[in-house]
Amino acid sequence: MQLTTEKVALLSKPAPRRRSKLGRLERREERMFYLFILPWLIGFIFFGGGPIIASAVMSFTNWQLLAGPKWTGLGNYVQLFQDPLFYLTLKNTLYYGGGTVVIGVMTSFLQALLLNQRVHGQAFFRTVFYLPSVIAGIATAFLWLNIFHPDFGLINTVLGVFGIQGPGWVTSEYWVIPSLIIMSTWSGGSTMIIYLAGLQNIPAHLYEAASIDGAGWWSKFWNVTVPMMSPVIFFNVVTGFIGSLQAFTLILIMTNGAPANASLVYGLYIYRQAFQYFNIGYASALAWVLFVIIMVITLVQLYLAKHWVYYEGEIQRREIRYEA
Amino acid sequence: MEYQYEDDAIRGLERELMRQGYSRRDVIKLAGALGLTGLLSACGLSTGQNTATKSPYSISDGSSLQWPRTIVAEPTSPIQLSVAHSWDAIFWTRQVQFDTLFMKRHPNIIIKAENTPFSNYIQKYIAQAAGGTLPDIIYCQYAWAQQLIQPEVIEPLDDYISRQPDFNLGDFTKPSLDFYRRDGKLYGIVYDCGPRMLFYNKQLFDQAGVKYPTNDWTLEDLKQAATKLASGKGRTKIFGLLSLPTSGDASMAPGYLFPFGARYVNEPQETKSYIDQPEAVSAMEWWWELMFKYNAVPTPAEQLTLLQDAFTSGRSAMMMAGSWSTPGLTQNAHFKWDMALWPQGPKGRIIDTAGSAYMIPKSTENKNVAWIYLNEYLSPAGQSFMWGMTGRGSPARKSAWPSYFASKFAPRGARLVYEALNNYATNQIMYQPRVTDTAGPVWDRVVAGDITIADGLHQITQQIDPILALNAS
Repeated sequence: MQLTTEKVALLSKPAPRRRSKLGRLERREERMFYLFILPWLIGFIFFGGGPIIASAVMSFTNWQLLAGPKWTGLGNYVQLFQDPLFYLTLKNTLYYGGGTVVIGVMTSFLQALLLNQRVHGQAFFRTVFYLPSVIAGIATAFLWLNIFHPDFGLINTVLGVFGIQGPGWVTSEYWVIPSLIIMSTWSGGSTMIIYLAGLQNIPAHLYEAASIDGAGWWSKFWNVTVPMMSPVIFFNVVTGFIGSLQAFTLILIMTNGAPANASLVYGLYIYRQAFQYFNIGYASALAWVLFVIIMVITLVQLYLAKHWVYYEGEIQRREIRYEA
Repeated sequence: MEYQYEDDAIRGLERELMRQGYSRRDVIKLAGALGLTGLLSACGLSTGQNTATKSPYSISDGSSLQWPRTIVAEPTSPIQLSVAHSWDAIFWTRQVQFDTLFMKRHPNIIIKAENTPFSNYIQKYIAQAAGGTLPDIIYCQYAWAQQLIQPEVIEPLDDYISRQPDFNLGDFTKPSLDFYRRDGKLYGIVYDCGPRMLFYNKQLFDQAGVKYPTNDWTLEDLKQAATKLASGKGRTKIFGLLSLPTSGDASMAPGYLFPFGARYVNEPQETKSYIDQPEAVSAMEWWWELMFKYNAVPTPAEQLTLLQDAFTSGRSAMMMAGSWSTPGLTQNAHFKWDMALWPQGPKGRIIDTAGSAYMIPKSTENKNVAWIYLNEYLSPAGQSFMWGMTGRGSPARKSAWPSYFASKFAPRGARLVYEALNNYATNQIMYQPRVTDTAGPVWDRVVAGDITIADGLHQITQQIDPILALNAS
């Protein structure tokens, strides 16, 4: 049976909420609300919000910690945009972040699809695929340093069996970022779990309806699974970018920015400026620029989400095209 | 009856939980989770109250020493004195012994010692300096000294020294005090000052049939021996020499460049790079033949998976290292080793030396009490107790060296260390992280073979000269 193109019109917008006077019960509940969040709020003000505001002020000063801060206005920001290492670290970070998110999303989603199948040992496989994400950072770093060893690491040894000369991986200027991307993808168990939960929430009747209409596995995947999973994919893309643009710990342990600054990422550069050169003002400026960059990327993603993220239940203007 | 009572109680609890809506399976899961939590908590408990490292040193060493009397008056009421150190676990036991004896001699001074790992030390205490919460006495390595002295965080000690009649500045070894001077004032009292030496693995030399290094060796002898000692490949490869000079480490200059008449920068001003001068280029090319031509030194890839340096793990026949490395080697190296003077080059024998000190921050309210502690801690008796008798090495005071030579913990080459310190050592070492962090990445390309040594050194000079020029102001 063929289905025709149809448009689902947007119904009337929801009526604006009027601010009504709160009754005694509502006021009491509001007080309880603030009381319950008070511990977190106090912690945030003193250990989060306060330092955030302080760093914003510091970014306009030249402060070497041991002498008092000197107001420089936009001096740090001017210096930043003239600093070649700023552009290099930004490039490295975007390369790493983009690669990690794209490959991470694809592999985690694929793993979740596989782990959603009803097979023997499903619980075992789910545990095994999740385990890498619970391994401590230092252990992960040393494990992958061994795997990536150019001479006797596992990967190059296997490649050598097929007569392929493996690259230098973390010792190569060109392969160090791909090495770090591979390592990050390996420990993507937590995003896989989120995808798995999303897959299990897709109503079965959608697949049944698609089957009745003669849809094959690819059609079901592309027209049912992906749209229904689009909010989860979107969430993981946004949080993945935010996390990977702030990558620091494992890179510090594994390469410390080497070789030839090829793995010097933005977070590591901020660390060096702040805690090795004690250039607190400049490091704060770098941190705020990173914040703005992450905000811009997130806003772009939110804008683009309108075109590909589908929230079930929300009435919106759509075109649904069915194959003959 | 007792068992019936317990049985009734358990059934009652079970009935109550089921009345609340929990199934029997839920109860079993809950009990299992609680049991596992208890088991894991029990595993985390310490096995006993005393988990301190056992000290190989005897506290009675202090009974034979003559402790100085400080001219500053003793406190009349109890005062707590905080002292920041950075010791390993074994040497910490000696520190505890010293503090115990000190507090016995000075009942009104209570020592609160804090120990911070070396890798985090300067970050922690610079942050404390910014917050005005520095301890009363702090340890300071030579590389950090001017960073603390220049912004006037540290108290000059000349006044205390001049008032202490038995404080003999002439007792300190020649290169030791300069790191802690500025504008004619002295800001730290040094406790050690040691040169770099040539360490060698006797077993690897025996296996390769190569004669041990002697004090007559030249750098050419070292190079030839390194090429002969290198053998094998993969995980069992043996290297001839642990490391080569890189522009990412300015402390390499005295041992690797000075013997060829080459320099890294224009010491002591440090305002201009000399690393691209012909003598420096040829010296670097000479050294790096050991990697590029003879494969006798670990490559960056080969260094990757070594948890310890290749010498300590028995895979490198020789290394250049500070005399302060001897305690670590004594603990961790499972082979026979010894040391010799760093060989001489065409322009002579020169090696760098460095040491650490203790300082009194200006922010402390107990400066006089801090001086009482420092005067004893770094007296001839104190340095003998801490660094001589323990074999720790290279005490900054000449009068403490006999205790080091006599110590059963001292390495065989202890007298060579003294000879190097007095005759061949220089304290002209540049420490500027921004310079070496700028130079290092360029040198990575040289090591990778992407650019030549000459091109690399030229690029480095172009990049670091603007940074060095800032030192002029």
